[in-house]
Amino acid sequence: MDHHTHSTAGPRELQMARSMCWHCQSEVAGEYFCDRCVKVQPVSKELDYFTCLGFPRRLTIDQRQLEAKFYDLSRAFHPDFYQNKSAAEQTISLGNSAMLNTAYRTLRDPIERAEYLLDLEAGSVKEIRNSPPAELFEEILELQDTLNEYRAAGRAPEAESPLRAKLQSERNILEQRQRDMETTLQRLFVQWDALQDRGEATDQARIERDRILKQIRENLSNRTYVKNIVSDLVSTIG
Amino acid sequence: MAYSDKVVDHFNNPRNMGSFKKDEEGVGTGMVGAPECGDVMKLQIKVQNDTIVDAKFKTFGCGSAIASSSLATEWLKGKTIEEAQKIKNTDIVQELNLPPVKIHCSVLAEDAIKAALADYQKKADGTLTNAK
Repeated sequence: MDHHTHSTAGPRELQMARSMCWHCQSEVAGEYFCDRCVKVQPVSKELDYFTCLGFPRRLTIDQRQLEAKFYDLSRAFHPDFYQNKSAAEQTISLGNSAMLNTAYRTLRDPIERAEYLLDLEAGSVKEIRNSPPAELFEEILELQDTLNEYRAAGRAPEAESPLRAKLQSERNILEQRQRDMETTLQRLFVQWDALQDRGEATDQARIERDRILKQIRENLSNRTYVKNIVSDLVSTIG
Repeated sequence: MAYSDKVVDHFNNPRNMGSFKKDEEGVGTGMVGAPECGDVMKLQIKVQNDTIVDAKFKTFGCGSAIASSSLATEWLKGKTIEEAQKIKNTDIVQELNLPPVKIHCSVLAEDAIKAALADYQKKADGTLTNAK
């Protein structure tokens, strides 16, 4: 796997400082508005969602801070405030609002945030190849057989109730497992953030980085599998 | 979004649903999953004299994933190992008329075929039974 080196310190500042105002051509030092002519500046499509919202690439984010920042920028970019402005500004306002909404939706949910960070850090999901959890798959497929049996027995209550009890207990076990995975993920998130905060460039840090990303990937994937079968269980037995 | 008639047909009447015993002679098992959507697919082949004489699948996932694996087992039957290697996800997309958002289901089916073939090969190399 190749190692991307992502500097964590202020990529936005750098990027912004080098960009020019589309309107007055002066250097833009502020966040999204030109200091001189006060025109709104387009959010670069290359900007990642963390940078877009002014957060470092961490997996633990203060929800209230995130929300506050989102509302701030929402107001700043909102198309309603650009109705009397030029066409160029209206276009920027629309583009920025769309980007901001996507960024916020992605970062607000811890699981989606982690999926997104994996994409940024390791390319596509496929980059981190882990062997499929064969035992979990067998379990899921077996459970699905039982679910089908239960559905088929729909009108015969005497066949239904033992199956129902079995499915109910499976459901409890799987829901517990999903919670366990989420706890593990929380722990890995903290480990990731601590590693980033230390910002070391040693081999050891790189190995640690890959280990954490791989484990996050594994837990996220397995959680999705478990979550799917749980929701199937819930919708079938109610 | 509506499923194509062929997908609906495979979904309602899946071909070759079920499984073989994993350790049975000549059986190759492919077990794959799509972490993005949580679909799980198990595809098995039974090989005699280099030809796939039977195939079975079990899939936990959406209609397109079920149809893709059902179609795959239909296609596998009667093919030689070499011919089976050539099945591509794009063939499945075409046959089932899968929309772009469902292409990953056909990729999963291709992965399952490849995994089953590899598993068979591994077992065959290990035992040296199964002449040729």
